[in-house]
Amino acid sequence: MVCLIGIFVVVATYLLLSKNLIRIILGTALLSHAVHLLILTIGEVKKGDVPLLKETPGPYTDALPQALILTAIVISFAVTAFLLVLAYRVYATNKTDNVEKLRGDEYE
Amino acid sequence: MITKWAILLPFFMAILIPILHTRIRKFHLGWVALAVPFILFIALLRFLPQIASGDTISHSWRWIPSYNLTFTTYLDGLSMLFALLITGIGTLVILYSIFYLSKKEALHKFYCYLLLFMTAMLGVVFSDHLIMLYFFWELTSIASFLLIAFWHHRKASRRGAQKSMLITVTGGIIMLMGFLILAHEMDSYSIRTIISTISIENLNRPLYLAMLFVLLGAFTKSAQFPFHIWLPDAMEAPTPVSAYLHSATMVKAGIYIVARFTPIFAYNLSWFWIVSIVGLITLFWGSFNAIKQNDLKALLAFSTVSQLGLIMSLLGMGSVVYATTGEITDVIYTQATFAALFHLVNHSTFKGALFMMVGILDHEVGTRDLRRLGGLITIMPITFSIALIGGFSMAGLPLFNGFLSKEMFFEATLAIQEMNVHSWIVLFPVIAWVASVFTFVYCFILVFKTFFGSADKLPTDRKIHEAPIGMLMSPVILAVSIIFIFFFPNILGKFVIGSAMQSVYPTVQPFEQMTPTIAAWHGFNTALFMTIGVIVFGIILYLSWPKWNRIYNRLPEKWTLNYLYNQLLEEAEIVGKFVTDLYMTGSVRHYLMYIYVFFIFIVGGYFIQSHIFAIDLEDQAPVEWFEILLMFVMAGAAIFLLFAKSRLTAVVSNGVLGLGVAMLFVVFRAPDLALTQLVVESVTTVLFLLSFAYLPEWSKEQKSKATKSMNLLISLTAGALVMAISFTVLNYSEFKTISGFFENAYELAGGANIVNTILGDFRAFDTMLEVVVLLVAGLGVYTLIKFRARKGQKKYED
Amino acid sequence: MNNLVVMPMLIPLCVAVILIFFRTYIKLQKIGVLLAMLLLIVTNIFLLVTVKEQGIQTLYFGGWEAPFGITFVADSFAMLLVLTASIVALCCFLYAFSTLTEDYAKNFAYPLMLFMIAGVNGSFLTGDLFNLFVCFEVMLLASYVLITLGGGKERLRESLKYVIINIFASWLFLVGLAMIYGTLGTLNMAHLAERVHQIHQGPVLTTVALIFLIVFALKAGLFLFYWLPGSYRVPETAIAALFGALLTKVGIYALFRTFTLIFTVQENITHTLIGILACATIILGSFGAIGYRDLRQIVGYNVVIGVGFVLLGLYANQTEALEGAIYYFMHDFIVKALLFLMIGTMIYITGRIRFDEIKGLIHHFPLFGWLFFLMMLSLAGIPPFSGFIGKMLLGVGLVDEGMYITLLLGFLSSIVVLYSLLRVFLKSIFGESMASHQMKKRIPFSMMLAMMLLMICTIGLGVGAEVAAPFVKDAAHVLTNPSVYIQAVLYPEGG
Repeated sequence: MVCLIGIFVVVATYLLLSKNLIRIILGTALLSHAVHLLILTIGEVKKGDVPLLKETPGPYTDALPQALILTAIVISFAVTAFLLVLAYRVYATNKTDNVEKLRGDEYE
Repeated sequence: MITKWAILLPFFMAILIPILHTRIRKFHLGWVALAVPFILFIALLRFLPQIASGDTISHSWRWIPSYNLTFTTYLDGLSMLFALLITGIGTLVILYSIFYLSKKEALHKFYCYLLLFMTAMLGVVFSDHLIMLYFFWELTSIASFLLIAFWHHRKASRRGAQKSMLITVTGGIIMLMGFLILAHEMDSYSIRTIISTISIENLNRPLYLAMLFVLLGAFTKSAQFPFHIWLPDAMEAPTPVSAYLHSATMVKAGIYIVARFTPIFAYNLSWFWIVSIVGLITLFWGSFNAIKQNDLKALLAFSTVSQLGLIMSLLGMGSVVYATTGEITDVIYTQATFAALFHLVNHSTFKGALFMMVGILDHEVGTRDLRRLGGLITIMPITFSIALIGGFSMAGLPLFNGFLSKEMFFEATLAIQEMNVHSWIVLFPVIAWVASVFTFVYCFILVFKTFFGSADKLPTDRKIHEAPIGMLMSPVILAVSIIFIFFFPNILGKFVIGSAMQSVYPTVQPFEQMTPTIAAWHGFNTALFMTIGVIVFGIILYLSWPKWNRIYNRLPEKWTLNYLYNQLLEEAEIVGKFVTDLYMTGSVRHYLMYIYVFFIFIVGGYFIQSHIFAIDLEDQAPVEWFEILLMFVMAGAAIFLLFAKSRLTAVVSNGVLGLGVAMLFVVFRAPDLALTQLVVESVTTVLFLLSFAYLPEWSKEQKSKATKSMNLLISLTAGALVMAISFTVLNYSEFKTISGFFENAYELAGGANIVNTILGDFRAFDTMLEVVVLLVAGLGVYTLIKFRARKGQKKYED
Repeated sequence: MNNLVVMPMLIPLCVAVILIFFRTYIKLQKIGVLLAMLLLIVTNIFLLVTVKEQGIQTLYFGGWEAPFGITFVADSFAMLLVLTASIVALCCFLYAFSTLTEDYAKNFAYPLMLFMIAGVNGSFLTGDLFNLFVCFEVMLLASYVLITLGGGKERLRESLKYVIINIFASWLFLVGLAMIYGTLGTLNMAHLAERVHQIHQGPVLTTVALIFLIVFALKAGLFLFYWLPGSYRVPETAIAALFGALLTKVGIYALFRTFTLIFTVQENITHTLIGILACATIILGSFGAIGYRDLRQIVGYNVVIGVGFVLLGLYANQTEALEGAIYYFMHDFIVKALLFLMIGTMIYITGRIRFDEIKGLIHHFPLFGWLFFLMMLSLAGIPPFSGFIGKMLLGVGLVDEGMYITLLLGFLSSIVVLYSLLRVFLKSIFGESMASHQMKKRIPFSMMLAMMLLMICTIGLGVGAEVAAPFVKDAAHVLTNPSVYIQAVLYPEGG
């Protein structure tokens, strides 16, 4: 499980360091997946039951990380959506989706 | 009280003048300003007898008592001496300025700055609190800056102002550091408390550092070598400013510091060496350079540098007793200090007069250039007399007060031979003598080149005549005082300087014994012979001037301090840009790389070297086969994502990953999460696809092998690090989590789904905020698409 | 329990939401903003005084006591910062009234700015680490939108970099949160502190601490400030001022809070690292500040220098140094905003961005010119302005700890700051005047008002430092004694 997270991080980082905007955004998406899984893993997975009081008897698995992850998912989603639109606008104005070409006039 | 008003009165007037100046059009603003120093001078004289007898007056006002910042003032002999100088010369200078500056100038600004300066300077000499002293010290730098840049449309004025500000403020800040260290070591901010508690046993490294810092501050302000370069450029200021600040008062602030702090720091023998040697070098260098100047004001500037060096070296020589014996056993060794203070006053008189004289020339003749001036003695006899008196006094000739202090200077350099500190001390009189010869030469140049010789090259655009009486008043008063002091030196000596000695040597009682009887004739002693030698050699050098002036061309431009300073500033800008451009490339890839590498090094480095990696696979829950399959699929999808050739495949892979994550959520007992993940993942995929309509298809990225391997390396280490830390954390079971509390969700919150109750009740605030985040993101999407600012606004956008 | 504690976040939040519905009624928006800010400032003052008299104020959301629910904790440190932030924000709004055109107002500029302020205040007041993350995100997302507002090639380009780097930082924050929950099992800051002290912060926890160090360093601009100069260069002036004054401060606050409250044990590693980074930041920032002629670059690097300087106080970790840092913190809020506004005004008047293309402004705009002069002195820490007391106290602290080299570095940075602006002053304010047709005729009233208000604040904080002293001392007291904080949050009834 942790290994899976590790692989995600590796791939995500590699993507993040690439030149193409879409790849970068995909990298961020993957990073989010990784960290969501991480939070879950840390909370002592599968030790207990699903945290529904009426449905299952105890002992329950840790519910707090789940709540945290939910919040994190929503926030990441909001950011990703914004980032995608921003990428589109950057492309529309700067006519490139290559990050290296987006350095800025002074530096060229 | 007197001290409080002495500081407050000029300050209030400084504020009032710019506010009220439009109502006072009829007469010159200077008359209003004149009242301030004049009143103060008279007021101070009232207290003179009291101070002269050794008494002191003190007053305090609390500013920030929580941090012991109080305005404590302390009027003793030393501060009285300086205060009289500040107010006395101030009166004369303002009087002079009334006739020098026409009403067309921005007089309200001029007098505002000048009075601000006066406030600051008085604050410096009255302050007993170290931090307050610093406060007024910086205020003098600021006022000086404003005055130098008074004609700020001139480039040279701006440059001179910048140079003076940078050098003196830097010195000030370093001095502040010294003060903080001193206060810390001695546990007090009050100068007199420190003086009374410090002794030779207190020497330690921090105090040594404090000493160096304080000296640095003093040297920058008093234009000692190598910080003297700001003074000649400060001559861009109007002449009254040069006469006041840059010869009589502000530059003497450093001297004040050295004198005031002698009983604190002089226990270090280094104090003696540093102060004396810097003083002597300055003395020599200043006088040497003064000779070659063509601009009279520059000549006087270098001369001031040199004379300040003289006073500084005297203070140094007078301080040696602290280090060698720790107690002042014989009064003779304090006489150097007496000479310093005496020369301080004398210098103010003759330098002030000379500056005013040059100002008269500038005003009446229209030039200060020695190559054009000449033969003015017939046209301007009074001005000539002033020049003669001032110049000869500076050269140290008898009948003028400069002679008396110069003699005392020579005597001090001879007396110090007996202190037995080092064999090189024999150089002191030598340097003193050589420098005095040079001093003699430039004084003669000043007097004779200007007023004798041919009048051919004088500017012809105006009729040259003697200056109006108004302008002559002040310098004449100074000239008279020069002669007066020669004949009656002991009035000055006993009343003013005597009690000042007590400030420098508080342990010598009664202090009157340190006041010598100054007399013009001491018999045929070495000092007299030295003076005669100066006159003889001086005349020879002056007459042979064309023969040896080529020595000045020996030193190439590149090695002058001025040049180095300019280069430093220019280089700083280039270096700054170069260094910053090195790493600020504008490429977000690079930035991310820096951050990743930093993360790996710091966190990874620490993690590895503390050997805490721990992995414990036993305590895990049983793993089912479909879970392993799921994980393999996901890992595969992730790696596939990396190599995806088209965007579509990449997005599909991402979708697969998202779904996989949702499945994992189910496996890990988090049904709500799975549901949310499914929804979010679907929408995200749709968004990706939508954006593809507007973004180009991608191609295989062109990256060099080096970049690729670097990226790979960073990625692998990052992933490994996260993994390693995760394993370790998993293994860490010191604490029970707080989620036990939430298991009572039904009783507490009325809900059976614990996760929901957490989101909706226990931690509802988070949920509310995450909704806000969504809202803001929505606004963002809207504005990004809809809002393009009209062209008009963006002047700097393309 | 004091309900007022949430107000600094709630007021701007609610008003922002309301204003969204009034997007075309610009006058109404302006009035709404003004009222909101005034109400905010009054509330903050009241809260600050309450904290001083009655001790730390807390609010348990939903009535769930710590550490199970989310807590807002108002101690003097947080309240001083919240108050200063509100005053500065008010001035930025005043400035914005003249410079933000109708288009901006119709596109939610004001609500967004209010959202950002809400996020900032929330970050200052929260007592829960995950809630800190969420408040950060509120603030960040608002800043993402604000920085892109108005579009344009350069602006969007720099925004992209800003967003990407911040996404990484937020990701790392989550990683840290996971780790800290995994080790300590709680999210409440006071509870975390208690548990860390119980086991004396072993190496595992220090690793986690280092992760947080990096996260907050990224947000604060400590050494990892690559995003800063670019991002502060591109938005509209009023927005940039808000950024420059508020955004990095939250990161700095987080550093102070976590490393004086929670991770206090292994100082030789964590705090030394902070010290090294702070010194490096000052040096690098200094290079940047004097290397460029673009006014906005100069300002950006000055922000960087300021960050490094404040964090020296954390490095020294001693009472006077912390008090100095707090004073300097407040001073930096005010003066950095003023700096941004002034530079923005210069660009507004002349349309130029390089200072060597602007000349002699003092002839046409004397009041502005002198304000610039005073601002320059204040920024360089010259008494009696507000920078001095902070600098002095920091110096006292550093001397007490025997950190002389750091002292030298910190104090010499003032010279760099002075020089970087002196060049501008002498060229652009003093000097021969530019042709008047190249300039706007006058500076609008609300812009001047904003700048004058800030100037009054900096003079006031400097001369009247005594007024702030009891609050500052109280704040430093809490920072040096984490048990006070822990007691107030976890055991309000005693015990």
